[in-house]
Amino acid sequence: MVALVVVSTFVVLVLGILVAGLLRSHADILRSLHELGVGVGDPAAPEAVGAGVTPVPLPAPAVVPMAAPGTEPALGAAPAVAGVTPTGDARAVAVDHGDHLTLLGFLSSGCTTCTAFWDALQTPERLALPAGTRVTIVTKGPDREVPAEVQARATGRVPVVMSTEAWLDYEVPGSPFFVLVDGATGRKVGQGVASHVGQLAELVRRAEHDRGSPPATASPAETGLDGPARAAAADEVLRAAGIHPGDPSLYPRTLDDVFPSGLGAAGSAEVLGDRAPG
Amino acid sequence: MATIAAHGITAQLPRGFEGRIFVRPPLHGATYPVAQFATFAIPDDSGDFGSGAVQLMGPSDVFVTLFEYGPESVGRALFARQGRPTSFADSDFSPARLRRGLPGQSGTQCFFTEGGRPFCLYAVLGSHARRHVLVPRVNALLGCFTVSPAASSAADIPVGRPGWN
Repeated sequence: MVALVVVSTFVVLVLGILVAGLLRSHADILRSLHELGVGVGDPAAPEAVGAGVTPVPLPAPAVVPMAAPGTEPALGAAPAVAGVTPTGDARAVAVDHGDHLTLLGFLSSGCTTCTAFWDALQTPERLALPAGTRVTIVTKGPDREVPAEVQARATGRVPVVMSTEAWLDYEVPGSPFFVLVDGATGRKVGQGVASHVGQLAELVRRAEHDRGSPPATASPAETGLDGPARAAAADEVLRAAGIHPGDPSLYPRTLDDVFPSGLGAAGSAEVLGDRAPG
Repeated sequence: MATIAAHGITAQLPRGFEGRIFVRPPLHGATYPVAQFATFAIPDDSGDFGSGAVQLMGPSDVFVTLFEYGPESVGRALFARQGRPTSFADSDFSPARLRRGLPGQSGTQCFFTEGGRPFCLYAVLGSHARRHVLVPRVNALLGCFTVSPAASSAADIPVGRPGWN
């Protein structure tokens, strides 16, 4: 009889520990969901807060989908991001050159929600972003962030720029915040908040899709163009490359103009008289 | 127009340029500031004179690096020129002046002393055939940076002050 009581007591104790563990795990999950802005119920509601703890309203990040160009009011020009690196060097990232996209991730070192984005943005291949997409992380400047803490999160794989001015320029409401810039136009094509990494990648892919691919350069045989239409198509391609009528590069005078570093470089540099001394 | 400053060099970047001013951690002996400017995305792991970066250049791009040498170089014949060049001519650029020859590109380099600091300025054009368009872009950059005198450069390294996010 005594043995039965002892065994029963032991079993009840074990079950009690298991239940307590499950409740704690459940609470952790709910807390994480609330921090990510996808929690169930109001995290600030009294019944959701433990006894003796002052209710603190948690800002639920509003997910703002990145807008495609033409479907939303113009988001405006995107200025360069200039500041310092966590090691005290200077860095400026231009977003208005090339035809690639630039994804600016405005993060903080102390923001819990940002942790996953710090990791993901520094391994862009995991995000499966559109080819050529450049990622840059922007924190507030050394007046608002501790450089050592930012440095501890930086891996050196993508530029990390500390610039409070950039946060003001881009009117960042809080971290994490993301801005997608089209390098061809130098304009923002999307901005907003993502709750998790997968959502961010999807938003970027959607913006890239909506932005459309540049017209493919096909051969005349493939396009079926000939005569004046072919000439007009060639002119269009040249104009897109910044080569306008009368451009000297259309009228090479020496072989060096055509093959500057090959046979022409060796054979005709003396004709131009610009071979480096020594 | 973005402005960056560190290690005694300040640059107001023309539109379309990006840049960085850095000092590499010393492995053996002292290291000195390097400033890089380009019209394309500069990889963070590019070499001082652009290795790893110039391979990414398009025909419309330029790359410029300003490399400081140690004070022991001051007064040597190579650095006798006082002040940076105010402009380059098309003829200053040649494929033969590239540190690493890449098809289509050309470059130039110039050694000088400014503010008591010895520098090499090395510029690369993405297309030698388009030098008449690209050289003016390099020249525009030449007037956009300032070099502090040698004695004050160390004081310009930014010091972080913690604060609320």
